[in-house]
Amino acid sequence: MALLLKTHYELAKSSLKQNKTRSFLTCFGIAIGVASIILILSLMGSISTLISSQVSQIGSDLIVVRPSTNKNAVDSVVDELTSSTQYLKSNLTMKDAQLIEKLDNVSSVAPLAVSINSLKGDDLVPSATVVGTNPNFLKIQNLTLKSGTFLKENSKTNTAVIGAALANDLYGTDEPIGKSLTLLGERFIIVGVLSEIDDPINFNNLDLDESLFVSASTLNEIDNSLQIQQINIRATNTDGIQDTVNLIRETLVAAKSGDTNFSVLYGEEITHPAGTLFSIISGILAIVAGISLVVGGIGVMNIMLVSVAERTHEIGVRKAVGASFNNIFLQFLFEALILTVLGGILGMIFGYSIAFLISLITPFSPFISWEIVLITFLTSLTIGVVFGLYPALKAANKNPISSLKFWG
Amino acid sequence: MAEENDTIIKLESLTKRYGYGDAASFALKDFDLTVKRGEFIMIMGPSGCGKTTLLNIIGLLDTATSGTYLLNNEPVSRISARRQARLRSKKIGFIFQNFNLIPDLPIIENVSLPLVYSGYHKTRRLIRASEILDRFNLKEKEYYMPFQLSGGQQQRAAIARAIVSGPEIILADEPTGNLDSHSSALVMEELKRIHSEGNTIIMVTHNPNLTQYATRVINMLDGAIDTDIKTVKDSDLPVPVHQRAKKKTKKKTKRKRGKK
Ligand SMILES: Nc1ncnc2c1ncn2[C@@H]1O[C@H](COP(=O)(O)OP(=O)(O)OP(=O)(O)O)[C@@H](O)[C@H]1O
Ligand SMILES: [Mg+2]
Repeated sequence: MALLLKTHYELAKSSLKQNKTRSFLTCFGIAIGVASIILILSLMGSISTLISSQVSQIGSDLIVVRPSTNKNAVDSVVDELTSSTQYLKSNLTMKDAQLIEKLDNVSSVAPLAVSINSLKGDDLVPSATVVGTNPNFLKIQNLTLKSGTFLKENSKTNTAVIGAALANDLYGTDEPIGKSLTLLGERFIIVGVLSEIDDPINFNNLDLDESLFVSASTLNEIDNSLQIQQINIRATNTDGIQDTVNLIRETLVAAKSGDTNFSVLYGEEITHPAGTLFSIISGILAIVAGISLVVGGIGVMNIMLVSVAERTHEIGVRKAVGASFNNIFLQFLFEALILTVLGGILGMIFGYSIAFLISLITPFSPFISWEIVLITFLTSLTIGVVFGLYPALKAANKNPISSLKFWG
Repeated sequence: MAEENDTIIKLESLTKRYGYGDAASFALKDFDLTVKRGEFIMIMGPSGCGKTTLLNIIGLLDTATSGTYLLNNEPVSRISARRQARLRSKKIGFIFQNFNLIPDLPIIENVSLPLVYSGYHKTRRLIRASEILDRFNLKEKEYYMPFQLSGGQQQRAAIARAIVSGPEIILADEPTGNLDSHSSALVMEELKRIHSEGNTIIMVTHNPNLTQYATRVINMLDGAIDTDIKTVKDSDLPVPVHQRAKKKTKKKTKRKRGKK
């Protein structure tokens, strides 16, 4: 049996070699499909590693309160993608944050009031992310300062802390302590610079390196449309965290006289919105890649049919000298399999090369796992069988006498 | 018992019909034939009388519409398609008028083709094919492609392919039809040698001069036998090489060898 398979493999290989260009182009069709699937799987893999590393980074004692609607996941994702005013409907207030702070098992609370504003320092940044929060933010986010201090309670002057990248944009240096900037007509003094985190995807949906941090109460005074979009909470004790979550929910429902348009999240739930968005996108991409793979498969079938027609006489000769149905069937099936598996390997190399190039300019490092390699291999094999079956049957079913009369 | 053993092919009222009803035509009609081991049969007859059809059926490439075909005393209708294929690769060698070499394969691979389907390793296939080609004086052309050979050389390569797996029956359909007289003579000498080794040969030809090589000449007409003349007695037929040791005592074998 092994010898028979080896013989068929040799036969298939030699007939593919006779048509190198054609074989290569057919392979290439499969390779493109496989490369896109590899690319998507690799991106998916690296993003979910990023997300889960964040969950472990933020710790199991973090609770987040977000405004929410009763829409389903897809609708809210679409909302998130299409509206720049995604936060404006928030029903959270500074008062909610103060209420939560008094509850059992709550160690610290930081509200987040995010707005996009123009900033004027040495240079003008027309749309910068301004985060209104309180001194607890630094501790809750586990952030460190590069220099200076963070926001202080009851500070007499308007103080601001700046992300390293934004500092560069505004002042051309990452040491702007003592410099001033204008926000909504008010003057703020920079008192601290955050260490770079280089983590644009996080549960706050904020690029902290590109943000300015000011006191939420100060911001509230100068911007009356300001709303709290998120409240971050650290629990004292992880064990009773589910009870704490329930307690927060009940307290807020009571305070808002029955309004339930908010959600209290902890653990993996926190990163969920990003996760949903990303699985929808990668699902769509996977379908597109799947289609291109099917197109590649049709290419294989097409070429195999041409090859069977061209080699009718050869099939007749082979049958006359002793080839059985199975012999001819396997020879042509192997040809299709070699094409698709070779295409699969080629595609894997392409896909990972592109994933590597992408990793040079984005935080998504190539994600290689034996599952991906196995899936790719099995997919190419399946494509080979599915699209090679019909041509191989057609070849094996040829009548030897009429085939011998056929000179192609 | 011995009689039974000597019969390699037995056809009984074999009929091949094309079409149905009024449109029916018969390529073979109630064809009877018994072939003894070691016969060299030449089949002659006008074009369209069913010679090729007969060879195709004997060679298991085609099936009769009715009648029985016993190959080595076994009804062919009971042999599975898979075993028929194996018989084609091991026991039957085909030679065609138009050579039917595969144009994309070098001569040596063409010659070794039947061995592919009887389960030989590649190296053994090539060694065996090389030996045979040596015998046909084509050794130096092993790796030529078919189009690089003359017609006569191609037909000799095709004969090499037909005998490479040591078949018992050689079926040749006008093997000299495309060759000049010189090449024809070479090809006939090869067939004569193969026959003298005890193989059974059935050959179709239009050339009456070639009947000198045959032990039996059959003339066909409209799908049936017209005349059937044996020029050599059954007892004088050559004995297969592998059986000679057993029949050493038989006089006729010694005599045949002595002639050469
Ligand atoms: N596939 C087919 N369909 C219908 N009729 C066929 C078919 N093949 C052969 N025939 C008919 O069968 C008859 C015998 O054909 P065959 O090829 O055996 O002749 P032949 O004796 O070999 O002739 P030639 O000497 O010209 O080669 C012919 O009348 C032919 O028309
Ligand atoms: Mg004919």
